[in-house]
Amino acid sequence: MEKPSAISIKQLNKSYRESDRQHVIFSGLDMQVSRGEFIVLLGRSGSGKSTFLNLISGIDPPDSGKIIINGTDISALSEQDRTLFRRHHIGIVFQAYNLIPTLTVAENLLLPLQLIKRLTRKDRDDVGELLDKLKLSGRLDSYPDRLSGGEQQRVAIARALIHDPDVILADEPTGNLDLDTAGQVLELLDILVKKAGKTMIMATHSQEVIGQADRVFSIRNQSLQRE
Amino acid sequence: MNSLLQRASRNFLWQHPWQLVLAMLGIALGVAVVIAIDLAMESSLNSFNQATKVYTGSATHRIIANDGGLDEKLYRQLRVKGFSQLSPLVTGYVKLAQAEQESFKIVGIDPFIEKTLQPGWQSGQNENFSPDLLTRLMAEPNTALLSQKTAQRLHVPLNGQLSLVTRQGQQPLTVIGFLPDTNAVSEQVLAKLIITDIATAQELLGLFGKLSSIEILLANDASKTEAAIQSLLPGNALLLSLESQEQSLREMTRAFSTNLKALGLLSLLVGMFLIYNTMTFLVMQRRRLIGSLRLLGVTRQQIFTLILSEAFFLALIGTLIGIALGIVLGHGLLQLISGTINAIYFRIDATVLTVTPFQLGKGMLLGMSVTFFAVLPPAFEATRLSPVKVMARSQLESGSRLLIKRLGFISGILIASGLSVAFFSGNSINFGLASIFLILFGFGLLTPVLTLWLMKFIERAFGRFLGVLGRLPVRMVSAEISRTGIAIAALMIAVSATIGMDLMIGSFRQTVAQWLHSSLPADLYVALPGDQMTAEKPSLDKQLKEKIARLEGVAMVSTALQTKLFAAGELTKTTVFELAEKSKQGFIFKHNMDNSLWDRLEHQPTVIVTEPYAYHHAIRIGQKIDLKTNQGALGFEVIGINADYSGDQGHLIMSRQNYLRYWPDLGYTGIGVYARAGADLKNLESRISQLLTGQQAVKSNQAIYKASMQLFEQTFTITEALRWLSAAIAFVGVFSALMALQFERTRQLGILRAIGITSRQLSVLIIAETGLMGLVAGLLAIPVGFIVAYVLIFVVYQRSFGWTMAFYFDSGVLFQGIVLACVAALLAGVLPALKMAQTHPAEALRTE
Repeated sequence: MEKPSAISIKQLNKSYRESDRQHVIFSGLDMQVSRGEFIVLLGRSGSGKSTFLNLISGIDPPDSGKIIINGTDISALSEQDRTLFRRHHIGIVFQAYNLIPTLTVAENLLLPLQLIKRLTRKDRDDVGELLDKLKLSGRLDSYPDRLSGGEQQRVAIARALIHDPDVILADEPTGNLDLDTAGQVLELLDILVKKAGKTMIMATHSQEVIGQADRVFSIRNQSLQRE
Repeated sequence: MNSLLQRASRNFLWQHPWQLVLAMLGIALGVAVVIAIDLAMESSLNSFNQATKVYTGSATHRIIANDGGLDEKLYRQLRVKGFSQLSPLVTGYVKLAQAEQESFKIVGIDPFIEKTLQPGWQSGQNENFSPDLLTRLMAEPNTALLSQKTAQRLHVPLNGQLSLVTRQGQQPLTVIGFLPDTNAVSEQVLAKLIITDIATAQELLGLFGKLSSIEILLANDASKTEAAIQSLLPGNALLLSLESQEQSLREMTRAFSTNLKALGLLSLLVGMFLIYNTMTFLVMQRRRLIGSLRLLGVTRQQIFTLILSEAFFLALIGTLIGIALGIVLGHGLLQLISGTINAIYFRIDATVLTVTPFQLGKGMLLGMSVTFFAVLPPAFEATRLSPVKVMARSQLESGSRLLIKRLGFISGILIASGLSVAFFSGNSINFGLASIFLILFGFGLLTPVLTLWLMKFIERAFGRFLGVLGRLPVRMVSAEISRTGIAIAALMIAVSATIGMDLMIGSFRQTVAQWLHSSLPADLYVALPGDQMTAEKPSLDKQLKEKIARLEGVAMVSTALQTKLFAAGELTKTTVFELAEKSKQGFIFKHNMDNSLWDRLEHQPTVIVTEPYAYHHAIRIGQKIDLKTNQGALGFEVIGINADYSGDQGHLIMSRQNYLRYWPDLGYTGIGVYARAGADLKNLESRISQLLTGQQAVKSNQAIYKASMQLFEQTFTITEALRWLSAAIAFVGVFSALMALQFERTRQLGILRAIGITSRQLSVLIIAETGLMGLVAGLLAIPVGFIVAYVLIFVVYQRSFGWTMAFYFDSGVLFQGIVLACVAALLAGVLPALKMAQTHPAEALRTE
């Protein structure tokens, strides 16, 4: 039986104005992503991988076309509603970790939860458990700048998952890490995201990830080409 | 320096124009306030001197007398003895007989004095002025010269008439010619001047046979001539050099001027924090660029020079703008300062802003040097940036925290030194003010570390209720303490200075109010104009006093004469009292009172001195003050020191009985009326009013109290204005810091938006942070403001003016301080909050 569609993109157009030139990124892009599917996105630097993820997360609005996530057309939403949608349904992992430097590890994880509900004792326990799993239990009260790159990225992954989103978007999550650490992070993503049946789109250069993906695309000629 | 190196740096600055503008604004505002005060203060004094020269010409010396005036025979006597280059003057103020009763200065001159002594308008060099007019002025009675502009304004044609109010009723004057003006000051002075010959002026002012002064032109080394003139002078006259008189006027206003200039420097201190903050931001934002340049082989010294040259450019433009702004602001302040000098010290007939290259040079030097000192720390910081690794913000902050803790120690030393200087620096006003600067600067440096503690406290106390999101603003303040701390410090300094001054002014107001209540024991006061000491005035005043005393409902009367006596070579204000029994209750002595005091005041050569007089002349009880009498100098023993806030130079108090033994009767300047119990005061006031003529007036003690308090408020207008200016600069400082902070945090705020924080929540976060900064500044400003008020009251004001005041606590001032700090910070946070909320998250995430 065919899995239900988690993400549906129809006739997506996106361009940027650069001084007096219009720089087209996507033109008439279509794509369907099933629930629980793991998509890998390849492309040279500047090809539009990050823009694609920003469009799906609602950070950037498309010029035209539709982006439907779990039945909600986010391209039709206002900026405020897109933010609220993202808050509930999407988790993002960045290449540069992007943890909030002024919050501790535990607080970084609790923040997405607090944005959607009132925190309970159980939430704090869950954070503790998650950090245990990530072998970061001793760093609960540490600030991000005290962690290594691998540790920061593990916390970032945990933050993206803590509120149980439907879709995980990862923008070169191993780009800043050495080979060993990158391997650990990918293993973690495999356990926490793929095996948990969540939909994930990852922009990456890592060949190892390509092997684990359900489908691999690359951005060419303002469109997605299946590899 | 390598032009490419400069270009790499300059391009960055061009990309952040508003930061450049705010840095220049900080310099410009600080310099503007200092320049404006200097220009306005100096211009007031210069205008006074130039205004005098409009009718005194090039005289070097002046013979003056106390209020009895100079006998005109003295002039003839000096001429007969062979003294030349003399110019007799009769001066006074008259009112026009018109609805507004406009006041004019009347100057009676001798038209035929030596040319070297003639003022500009009178000299033959002036083509617009015919010497024939001077002959007519002398030959034709009741003729006058008036400025052409004034004549046009008053619609008086040539040979038309001007009607004046005199004691003898209305008196017409024929305007036979117009006075040409030579500059802006003379234009202003002439606009309110009527020139007549001596006889006409004497008649109009009722000063028959009297002169106001004799102006003299003496050669440079004329000590023998001086001594010869001095030996011919009667007891009520004195020869003064105009230079020394100018100096003594400057001395008189020195404390006032020093205090104002200190307020200007406070603005500059706040501005200095702003410059430091902006330059530090500009260095920190370029850490990647500086790191890259260092990798390419640019030396530390080159980086240092690069930052300093940028600062030089900013300082130059900022200072030039500041000077231009200062001149504009100076025009505004000139009116306020002249008004205060008029109210407290002496009458200024013209107020023209004069700008000298020296003053502009001072402003330039000040702006440049302050910027240089403010920029040194960030310039050194730039040289320390690692060429290999661009340090993360957090790493820089942990370095800053160490520095902040060290500064905490230094600030302790500064505060302790400030307090020591305050209390162990003798009578120096400058050291007193310097102590306030040390204390403020010390607390300014301590502010970041205190902010960290306060943030910890807030988080511990309220963290549980705030949640993660609520904790963010608290963390943002402490995480970027090297930036937020400076903004909070600048705001704290401005607010604490405001609290300090408010408490001081409040205490002063209360003290003056209490003093006024007790020093106005009579129910009604009759004011008898003392300007014109005419021959018949003493007998007329005495008759009036007797008539008032006989009125039904009057229990007793007292009299006062405000005059001037020569004490130790200075013309000194003296109040001569004929005290009623109740009047004695109006004296507040600064020492234990001896019961024999009143008896000794009446019957022995004794005086009471006011507290400011005792302070300025270092007088103690039992000491003698030499007063010049017609029988020669006589020592008067000081038997009392009483509180007095009517002026800051102080005066002598003498009994009328004592006074009349040595000086001629000049009548009274005031009569105090004590009503019987149950008397209708309104009715009594109206009955006394019917006995009065011309410029005489009767007022209740309440009306005098109100008018005095209004004058009190007026003298603080300039202080209020300057205080708000320094608060405005602090506001710009906070605004600039917040804008730069938000700019630095763009990416961090983008992440928050990416994980689902709405733009409104982001605005609230930023505004909460700025509100918190304001709250901290306000809370810290309370104790600092108290210390500032304490030093102002018990050190600076006492040393400046010789007044002792009680410290009155007003809780309202403290609330105002906190509200001011919070409102300033919140307002400063609105624009950055809106700007960040509008920034597109995708763009924010792309920011490095």
